[in-house]
Amino acid sequence: MADKDTEQKIRQAFTNAVPDLRDSILSDCKTQKGAVIIMTDTNKKTLWTRRLAGIAAAFVLLIGGLAGFQVYRANYSVASTVSLDVNPSIEIQVNKKEEVLAVNPRNEDAKIVVGDMDFKGSNLDVTINALIGSMLRNGYLNELANSILISVDNQDPAKSAELKERLADEISAALKTGTFDGAVLSQTISADPSLKRLADTYGITLGKAQLIQQITEQSAFYSFEDLVPLSINELNLLTESGNLNLANVNSLGTASDKAYIGEEKAKQAALSHAGAAADKIARYEIELDFEHGTMVYEVEFKCEGFEYDYEIDAVTGAVLKSGKEPDDDYIPPQADNGSSSQTGGSSSQSDSSTQQTGGNSSPTDNSSAPQTDNEQSQNSKASYISEEQAKSAALSHAGLSAEAITEYKSKLDREHGVMVYEIEFKCEGFEYDYEIDASAGTVLKNHKETDDDYVPPQDGGHHSSAENGNYIGETRAKEAALSHAGVSADAVYDYKSDLDSDDGMMIYEIEFKAGSYEYEYEIDAVNGSVLKYEWDEDD
Amino acid sequence: MIICLTSANDSGGEPDSSRLDRCLLGIAGEDSRALAELYDCTSASVYAFALSILKNTQDAEDVLHDCYLQIYAAASRYQSFGKPMAWILTITRNLCLLKLRERSRTADIPPENWEPYLETCESASPDDRLVITECMKLLTDEERQIVVLHAVAGFKHRETAKLLELPLSTVLSKYNRAIKKLKNHIGKEY
Repeated sequence: MADKDTEQKIRQAFTNAVPDLRDSILSDCKTQKGAVIIMTDTNKKTLWTRRLAGIAAAFVLLIGGLAGFQVYRANYSVASTVSLDVNPSIEIQVNKKEEVLAVNPRNEDAKIVVGDMDFKGSNLDVTINALIGSMLRNGYLNELANSILISVDNQDPAKSAELKERLADEISAALKTGTFDGAVLSQTISADPSLKRLADTYGITLGKAQLIQQITEQSAFYSFEDLVPLSINELNLLTESGNLNLANVNSLGTASDKAYIGEEKAKQAALSHAGAAADKIARYEIELDFEHGTMVYEVEFKCEGFEYDYEIDAVTGAVLKSGKEPDDDYIPPQADNGSSSQTGGSSSQSDSSTQQTGGNSSPTDNSSAPQTDNEQSQNSKASYISEEQAKSAALSHAGLSAEAITEYKSKLDREHGVMVYEIEFKCEGFEYDYEIDASAGTVLKNHKETDDDYVPPQDGGHHSSAENGNYIGETRAKEAALSHAGVSADAVYDYKSDLDSDDGMMIYEIEFKAGSYEYEYEIDAVNGSVLKYEWDEDD
Repeated sequence: MIICLTSANDSGGEPDSSRLDRCLLGIAGEDSRALAELYDCTSASVYAFALSILKNTQDAEDVLHDCYLQIYAAASRYQSFGKPMAWILTITRNLCLLKLRERSRTADIPPENWEPYLETCESASPDDRLVITECMKLLTDEERQIVVLHAVAGFKHRETAKLLELPLSTVLSKYNRAIKKLKNHIGKEY
């Protein structure tokens, strides 16, 4: 038995033996988050709860102390913090009477906007009007970028909400007098230490941090860090375009997308790249999105048996990414059959997937089909995809049709705590090995290796394993390993080889025994150099 | 002959780092789904590592629980992008060492009682239980930790050496000796 099998067994054993604390941890974390601690958790750990209770008591005392203190300092202590974000980010602190205590510019742009104006002691409304005026004059708010975010932080939620609404209306009205309509986002902030840390780390206002956090919570595609450099207008566009429903953010007006080429132009760019006529396409979808630091239009459509997928730069209109794949649901028109592969697409198209379009029985569209009756099905909850869907995900990833494969096996299993379909099959001299996420249907792991049992068809006479594109072939890899080990080919027994990708590099993993030694090699599959070797006494 | 039956050869059980980084960012933003996802990807490694140090399922379970609460509390301070697993297992190790110290004070907890729980653990097959039992009985503490870090958490030996503060050569030789012992025993019984 190889070391790897032993490792695999160990991993499997521990993975299966993990006690399931997931829910208990989640509920404990929720408890930890709120200021009010509800001790519903029964089985867990006096130590923790006691500690939490201590913290809570201290917290209550602290808040109480602060509140008492504030009575004395009503005129000087900060009652509310209002922040304005456009791209300049400004924080305004006011006392209970809404007199300004301090105006803090949070970035370079903000310093320009504030200039040498001194707002100390002035009324909040006056201050905000002056700041908006300055933003307009300095060109931070204009036709191309018209969004502003107001965030209000006050200990009293009712007061926060009231102030927020009043300011949003005022600013919206102030912007209407210009030559364009503004878009105002407004929110109240819960002063939460983790948010504060985030805001400090990235040097942004609490308000912007909270907005970004809400967007990242709603949409798994963005990370906090990605969104920090975006302006409020861009964030607002993402929210509108992704139809994100941000709790506790109110929105007035629409964000301007005039800085971008617009959906129509993006569509044209994609169609002309695909060589598809506008009247032939179906299921057209477009969305403004943010990818790898640029605003892009994501365009998707179907046309004559293919699905297209584009990313168009929202400013320049350049095609950043294009994808084309056969549409499994496509039924070619009756009159002229066989025309399905004749679209004028310019992207490359592999043979195997073309043949898939021809006669495939489209496994994807029977999502409503009953679960296959394998032994695992009692485990499978309704939320998992069917085994058929998993199979088709694996096949489409491999670019193979269902007819071409042999020795198909599938199994619903738990790996690293996630339910997966383990799918194995063979096709034309290769063994494929997939793990498909049973909830999302995504390919989690894939592996392809040469099939030693494979006998190539008689007529062709082509040798399977050595023909893998740019790789040196298994024979040459073996020679490299043997000559490095100084072992002659006939002294070798228990020989195994495997084409594998390691850290993004294709390698041949070669294992063999000779004499009383066991050898393991990793050979670069492109240039044949020995990357790693190990030998050990055979036991 | 089929070479290498399973996916064991693609870098072991190591969940991919960028996914974990994303989870940690999500947790820093107090997204409980991100915490759930992180738990799903990493709980086996955390538990196995804790068990390999503590040799007591009840204590290992406590550490498993506390570890994620710590991660939740500390995620916003997590900075070292690219090494999320090392960060998580460092937390695990520190909690285990705390636990050991606590135990030496109380001393009334029997040091090695991993068997009773295992017998009632339904998700583990008899084979699984056997493998864990062998790991517990056959290996020294260090060997066990080294094996678990490599086989379950997918650590490179270099990373193991760093976490356990041992020289790389020691890790390598201990690993080879340990896996040989296990191979003989586990192999025979199948």
